Amino acid sequence: MMTLLLALSLLWPLAVSGVAIWHAYRTPEVLRDYFSLLWLSAAWPALLLAYGGEAQWRVDAWMLGGLWELNALSRPWLAFTALLWSLAAVHAKGYFAAEQAHAQAGDQAAQRRLLRLSLLWPLTLLGNVLLIIAQDIASFYLGFALMTFAAYALVAHSGTDEARLGARAYLILAVTGEGMILGGFLWAAGEAETLMLQGVREGILVAEHGAWMAALLWLGFGVKAGVIGLHVWLPLAHPVAPAPASAVLSGAMIKAGLLGWINVLPLGEAGVSASLIQLGNIMLLAGLAAAFAAALYGVFQRHPKAVLAYSSISQMGMMTALVAMGLAAPSVWPLLWPGVVLLAAHHALAKGSLFMGTSISEHLPRWPLPLIWALLALPGISLAGAIGAGMMSKWSVKGPLYEMHYETLTKLLTWAAVGTAALVSVALWRQWQQREQGGSNRWQWGAWLVAIVAALLTPLWLPLPAGSIEMPPLNEWLGIIWPLPVGVILAAVGGWATRPLKGKTPPAGDLWWLYARAASAALVPVRLVARGGGRVKAGCVLTSQKAEAKVMGYLARFLAAEHWLRHHASGLMMVLAVLLAMLLIWEGQR
Amino acid sequence: MNATWLPVTTLATSLLVVVVIFSLPEEARRLRTTVNLLAAVIKIILVTLMVGRVSAGYEDIFSFQVVGGVDFVLRADALGVMFAGLSSLLWLCTTIYAIGYLEGSANRKRFFGFFSLCVASTIGIALADNLFTFLIFYEMLTLSTYPLVVHSGTQKALDAGRVYLRYTLSAGVVLLLGAVLLHHLTGDQSFSSEQGLGNYLNDHRGLLTLIFALLVGGLAVKAAMVPLHGWLPRAMVAPAPVSALLHAVAVVKAGAFGILRVVYDLFGIQLSIELGVITVLAVAASFTIIYGSLRALAQEELKPRLAFSTVSQVSYIILGIGLFGPFGTIGALAHLLHQGLMKVTLFFCAGNYAEELGIHRIDEMDGAGKRMPLTSIAFTIGALGMIGLPPVAGFITKWYLGIGAVQAEMYWVIVVLVASSTLNAMYFLPILHRLWFRLGPAHGQGQWPKEQRLGRLETHGWLLWPMVFTALASLGAGLLAGTPFSPLDWATRVATGEYLP
Repeated sequence: MMTLLLALSLLWPLAVSGVAIWHAYRTPEVLRDYFSLLWLSAAWPALLLAYGGEAQWRVDAWMLGGLWELNALSRPWLAFTALLWSLAAVHAKGYFAAEQAHAQAGDQAAQRRLLRLSLLWPLTLLGNVLLIIAQDIASFYLGFALMTFAAYALVAHSGTDEARLGARAYLILAVTGEGMILGGFLWAAGEAETLMLQGVREGILVAEHGAWMAALLWLGFGVKAGVIGLHVWLPLAHPVAPAPASAVLSGAMIKAGLLGWINVLPLGEAGVSASLIQLGNIMLLAGLAAAFAAALYGVFQRHPKAVLAYSSISQMGMMTALVAMGLAAPSVWPLLWPGVVLLAAHHALAKGSLFMGTSISEHLPRWPLPLIWALLALPGISLAGAIGAGMMSKWSVKGPLYEMHYETLTKLLTWAAVGTAALVSVALWRQWQQREQGGSNRWQWGAWLVAIVAALLTPLWLPLPAGSIEMPPLNEWLGIIWPLPVGVILAAVGGWATRPLKGKTPPAGDLWWLYARAASAALVPVRLVARGGGRVKAGCVLTSQKAEAKVMGYLARFLAAEHWLRHHASGLMMVLAVLLAMLLIWEGQR
Repeated sequence: MNATWLPVTTLATSLLVVVVIFSLPEEARRLRTTVNLLAAVIKIILVTLMVGRVSAGYEDIFSFQVVGGVDFVLRADALGVMFAGLSSLLWLCTTIYAIGYLEGSANRKRFFGFFSLCVASTIGIALADNLFTFLIFYEMLTLSTYPLVVHSGTQKALDAGRVYLRYTLSAGVVLLLGAVLLHHLTGDQSFSSEQGLGNYLNDHRGLLTLIFALLVGGLAVKAAMVPLHGWLPRAMVAPAPVSALLHAVAVVKAGAFGILRVVYDLFGIQLSIELGVITVLAVAASFTIIYGSLRALAQEELKPRLAFSTVSQVSYIILGIGLFGPFGTIGALAHLLHQGLMKVTLFFCAGNYAEELGIHRIDEMDGAGKRMPLTSIAFTIGALGMIGLPPVAGFITKWYLGIGAVQAEMYWVIVVLVASSTLNAMYFLPILHRLWFRLGPAHGQGQWPKEQRLGRLETHGWLLWPMVFTALASLGAGLLAGTPFSPLDWATRVATGEYLP
């Protein structure tokens, strides 16, 4: 039964893609429904699979040997990922309703865009599902690469200049990341002679250069997870992607980077080497730096989705810090990891509904505005930790940290929540400024509402090990809630104080522009060298041609000499004979 | 039981078909096609038989004495059968493709005659059991490829042919010199001999190194290692099926296969390591890989870009040899097959674009995905495989090479592999972007350079199906690498034979 479900959850998205192609050729464009019920169902088998219980499959014929597993970690991960994908798909049906109407009316550009999206969306999903259940390196890497490259179409959907820039930034960083992941995997797996993720974890733990392997993998997956310095694609890609695509990008796909870390780093293992602990400390610092810097930079953004992208960077920074604890303080990890999973799941749904919310504020339904904004704010408030699942997820990581006496980190995380609150308030404010009436669709707000509910109730449906998550005790509530009002007030004060700037904002993508300039500067010497090389080559060819011509000239002259030889044959014979005779005489006299 | 007839018949099938094709009149198109395809299918069956024989543990040998001390020997061993399998499979594909490609053009008799001769030579190279036999077929290959390169007869083609001959004939001389020196030293040296050249190490160290340098230097020209690669991008003027054959199995691969033979079967890995030539090989291969990728990046036309990509990719095989470990060897051998499948797909695609739409330059490819979806999907598969992304076959080899590098403690090779992957991504991904994301003539913007409607589908069926087949094969070779008789499985079999005799 489980095997059937597994096969279905992998083949179903493929089949959905196939049907999308079939429709493109067989169904007349007037009748073409890109977002049919079949398309919406792409993630459903995977969702069912997550609730089917634990299981393990071994497929020897698959690439280098496949090992797929549903375990305590991959089950909840698959559950929230598949749920978010399902909701985002429903949301997409509403979001693209207008575009589909255009397409059916004969707009070829819209047809092209929607075909591409409806084809590559299930493939991206497939990659995401595969990487979650994979326990062998090849499957994991396949899932990761498939998701990464298929998602390019999701980012580039609209085809505008901004979208192209965002997609390019996404792709360039993704390729860089893939390179580092490949290098790290090859190194670690080669040392440990393994094909499984488990083996990589063990290999890194004992290898001499384990910290360097771990660092490569950390940075490689860090491109997805938005580690500071490699995060620049997020604020460029998110604002240009369609809202449902941003939702899965920020909710599910960047979590793949996090899952990558948990899968390959020897977290919570006793006997971690000093250099790995060092790496853990660096990760911790990078994570905290991202958590604060992203908040500080993000509040100045104009586009609500750019603000939310910075919020994602900030949130992922916190999660980086928590993962880092698994290296820097291994004993805390067994208690901490369910909290990290809950945090990730809650962030996935909450950020997903926030991104879906941006499309709601652009197409307001005829509801009272306060109600809409209250609903828009709900996942944000939860994200800041003040209500519902947010509160529980905050406690689920803080509790273990308290218990093991890491008060400083707890305090820092709490302060980072102030940043989250400020970012969410700015996002809502920007949405308010840029609100537009009309064009809402029940699929669109339906999915959004369900996502909000799912976000608020995350611990209820997430299949985590029993007893790993607890409600915070009442006397801790204040300590978790206070960042929200402080953040809101800070945002308000900050907004008022920066009024003289007249809305001038720093560009989204911050360091990207620096990188771009550095890259073009670095290309100048490369071009010079290339030009020099070309000149040297041309010179070589010319010299050898000249040399060849010279040699050929000598040869030709030799041939001319033959004529002279023929002419003087008799004389030469005489000379030869005399010479021979003299030689003989000389020989005889010795 | 020695089935002597098997290697001979396999070789004879292809040689016989050459004779038949040349004796048929130019107009007998249908008969020629039938004979050609029939022979290709028969040869695949024969090679399959050989595969069965080898996996059952037999090695069929055919030999006769030419003059004293010089024998002509054909032997079906695992490595040779692997190359023969690739050659015969791709012969069928490229022949079908060529029939579609050359429909209605002149001099088809000459073309198919030499085409078959070219493939016959590769079978000879695959099955040759000593340097003498190998050399005969190697030179036969050189000469039979020339008419194919200059097939169109334009000045550019003739120039390219001249460059090709200069490179390969001088390489042939060098190779011959090496072979003569070796024969002088050891007498007739079989590839299957157990003892190898180890006995000569103490007294003739310098001479052995010289012989190695001459042999590998001569072979490296066909394998297109920098700086001996100059002929390959020029030879792009040849018709697409020729380029496909040239890059995937015939000429370039013959060079790489020759180096495999020299290192593994003639010198032996142990001796090669002791001579210290292996590391040189790895460094040269790495340089070629990076240089080829960089040059590919600078090309603006499709076929030259693919040609430089070949320069880079074929050196993966050499790099695998240079890693002197079981994993490196498996990677090298598997790449011999994988690269063949992927590159032939890419060249079929390039040919289809050129034939159907007149596309030669990369900036003309905008939006071609809509007009030619199957071709573009095949191209995408090939390109992703070249980058080394799973599940295409290229990933499998890259993986094995990387693991081999770590186990040989040559960590810089990992850097080379990652850099090469990134460079491959840099020159293939923009093409994919153009194919699928840009707007072009298929969307009503501008016009194709020279559009023909060759078939009911996106192009002529004879051009389409071989390409679809090779694309699926490159996907399958990666996705199902764990199945018995997959390229990886066979490469593992050969490599374990080399390392655990």
